[in-house]
Amino acid sequence: MAEDKFDRGTALTIFGSDRHEDLVALIVALVIALLVYLYV
Amino acid sequence: MVYTKRTPWTLIMGVIMVAYAYLVQSGALAGLIKYLGTARYTGEMLTLGYTFGGIAILIGLWQLIAKNAEGHVDYYLSTVGGVTFIMLVAFIVKWGLDPQMGQWGRAAQPTLGFNFASVMNLNYVVMGIISGIVIVNVFKVPGWAENGVRLSRLGLKTGVILLGALYSFAELQQLGKLSVVLIGIFVLGSVGLVLWWGARRNLPNSMTGVLSAGVGVCGVSAAVAAAPVVQAKSTEIAYTIGTILLFGVICMFAFPIVGKALGMGYITFGAWAGTGILNSAQVAGAALAFQPGGIETLKVAEIFNITRVLFLPIIVIWLAIWYVKREVGAQKVDIAHVLISKFPLFVLGFILMFLLSSTGIFAPARHYQGSYFDNSDKVMIKKDRSGKEINNYLKAPDLEVLKKESEKIKRDDQKAALQRLIENKKLMSIEDDDTLRGVVNAKILSKEGNAILVLHFRPGRARHADHDGVDQAGGRSAAGGRQRGRRGQGRGFADRSDAVCPRDYLRRMQKWLKTNSTVAPR
Repeated sequence: MAEDKFDRGTALTIFGSDRHEDLVALIVALVIALLVYLYV
Repeated sequence: MVYTKRTPWTLIMGVIMVAYAYLVQSGALAGLIKYLGTARYTGEMLTLGYTFGGIAILIGLWQLIAKNAEGHVDYYLSTVGGVTFIMLVAFIVKWGLDPQMGQWGRAAQPTLGFNFASVMNLNYVVMGIISGIVIVNVFKVPGWAENGVRLSRLGLKTGVILLGALYSFAELQQLGKLSVVLIGIFVLGSVGLVLWWGARRNLPNSMTGVLSAGVGVCGVSAAVAAAPVVQAKSTEIAYTIGTILLFGVICMFAFPIVGKALGMGYITFGAWAGTGILNSAQVAGAALAFQPGGIETLKVAEIFNITRVLFLPIIVIWLAIWYVKREVGAQKVDIAHVLISKFPLFVLGFILMFLLSSTGIFAPARHYQGSYFDNSDKVMIKKDRSGKEINNYLKAPDLEVLKKESEKIKRDDQKAALQRLIENKKLMSIEDDDTLRGVVNAKILSKEGNAILVLHFRPGRARHADHDGVDQAGGRSAAGGRQRGRRGQGRGFADRSDAVCPRDYLRRMQKWLKTNSTVAPR
């Protein structure tokens, strides 16, 4: 199994769960939005 | 487990990127850029080359020199090699393979009788996806890049969330009724059809339930959310996800080809792809493959796809009731708990970004007002502050100019678009709008002819400047353009249309209009 190669995350993601990945995506998007708000 | 591989490749790729950016900046690659016709990408070549190359050099050096120990720093920084690898492949495809393929397509046209690159839709989006498939399945992803490649889904989800910033209430009002009705029919019809068909084929209820949610709502997320409700086995979830993704891969390549063959517009194709393809990333892939130079199709496709996800609670409740009725002794599941724990958070992020954008914090409050094509009378005939009617239809003198100059156009599609504009006195579709932007960009017509076209582009779309230009200052006419030019407010084409009709070109045109009075004032 591909998952066995990683002790963290799965073959598809470095995060432990979809919810964790979604949360990080949301934070990254908000940081980008903040940068756009401040500098663009 | 230590994830960082001691490899020089991150450093090498970083050096390649920085060197390429430097050569572009110094003009050493001017000949190649001219040959490939990629001069419009020079800005992004420099920015992306220096940024990603610089980061890769720093991290690459650190990975080679430092002693890597197990932990969060090792885990997350080990992704840099893979991300750089993906970026390098993307650069090669977009700045090299894509323009080269276009040239090969044109060169082979006299022999083959058709432009294979155009017919097969071989743009950088499609070739990027094919490159990824080939690398993963034929060459295998290098060990040092594996962790970074696992980060790609994060980029996709971030992109979908950020896409929310490109919509407004006004736009959604325009698409709202159509999309909700279409999606409602599709989602409920698909779920009902799969449930009925599964029963006829004597599939286990759990398999039928999870498959119906997967193909009816939004693919993987829906399958995972529905699984506990119908008590699906892990093999059934895997089978469903495999079916959805395989179907999506086929659709991602087939949809743009079929869409172009049928002459679909951006909205039609976006609605079709957003409803027909299940996975959000594959929807984005198909939409960008259909329209690589713009985001209109992507926006329509994603809003259809996201709206479909919002049906998830209804479907989960439906499946819970359906399953309990069919399975004697089935364990009751806490539906609220399932929904809260399984609902894809990035969809809520998309909505949050849309709400933030609607407050006007990223752009002027009316920036995205009615971004979709609208040439109805309510847009073409407006009233100014004093109640005076402003007619935005083409006026007789402008029509005469365009009729005279139509002979200069050689391409059939451009001729037809201009003919439709002349016959109807207004642009009839977003495709005609794009086609005629090409005419303006190529400077085929006289300055006067171009000025008339420019001022009639994208009716109903309030751009950066239009909220203080078109709406208040006057109608879309060459004279109106002169009026805005005097006020120094003619800042249109500041969105993606920059590529076709740059801001400075409009400024030059307004300057010219100030000193030429051949266009009849109204």
